[in-house]
Amino acid sequence: MKASEAPEDDDLVRRARKGEELAFSQLVERYQRAAYSVAYSVTGSREDAEDAAQESFLVALQRLDECRNPERFAGWLMTIVRNRSRNLVRRETLRETDQLPSAARSKVPTPDRVAETAELREMLEKALAGLPEVQRQIVLLHDVEGWKHREIAEALELPSGTVRSHLHFARKSLREALGNMPGAPDQERKIQ
Amino acid sequence: MRDEFDLAGRTDEMGRDMELADVLRRLAPEHADPNYWMRFREWVVREAAGELARRRLVAHLTVSDVMSSWARALLPTAALAAALAGIILMRGPEDHLQQMVSVEELLVSDLEGETIPATLGPDTSGPAITFASEIF
Repeated sequence: MKASEAPEDDDLVRRARKGEELAFSQLVERYQRAAYSVAYSVTGSREDAEDAAQESFLVALQRLDECRNPERFAGWLMTIVRNRSRNLVRRETLRETDQLPSAARSKVPTPDRVAETAELREMLEKALAGLPEVQRQIVLLHDVEGWKHREIAEALELPSGTVRSHLHFARKSLREALGNMPGAPDQERKIQ
Repeated sequence: MRDEFDLAGRTDEMGRDMELADVLRRLAPEHADPNYWMRFREWVVREAAGELARRRLVAHLTVSDVMSSWARALLPTAALAAALAGIILMRGPEDHLQQMVSVEELLVSDLEGETIPATLGPDTSGPAITFASEIF
């Protein structure tokens, strides 16, 4: 999560409360990936995840005085991210209902989307989409972002044992779903 | 059929499933755009500039700043009130009576003629008017 010599979260939060830009920037740098992962777990869309994560940092700054335990800033922030992401999904669902069916909407591909192998990304996204939201959050925070069980448990307000259990089932489901994917973990193992 | 999921040999020292992590990282924004997180942070910090500035302003306000801001509005008002009170006190009660007299004078000064008929006045000059019936 953070280097040991780096300032603690509570220190950064207190400084950010006083308007110190560097402290706020460090908080963003520290948690931007986790915020994005959680937002992506909820929205299932990279564009929406980016919007929700960025907005969440701005909301967090506005409400920073309400963060009663600055040493637990991460969990507090992730709650904001989840709520913002769910609101975004709700709004988009309403918009889609009012406007066009999702299949009829044409999305302009971003440069990175063009560069990626579409099939690979789609399979990954599909595999993740097959998981419950909480399992998506846990597997991304743990295996990609490197959060510890205890940190995830605090952030998601779950018992540590539940986090471990969700992680186990998430990995299992992902491996099964990614089984036929080129470059998937077990596929490479079989080739070897 | 795939082998049963097995953590042994696939995790790092933190217990992360490195193989899955490698695959999932392909979904991460920086996979296609190495500067993604820098731009992400810059956007957030730029958008937060107003709120940060507001917080700096509030944080720099000390007790003396608050008092002096009060004083700026309060002192001239208090000084004016004190001056008015002083003037009133210095003029004293006599001036107050004189003022009342002068007000009475002012009330009658512009009236034409006598306010009380001369015949009924207490010190009418000239010959006294007497009535026969009053002389015994």
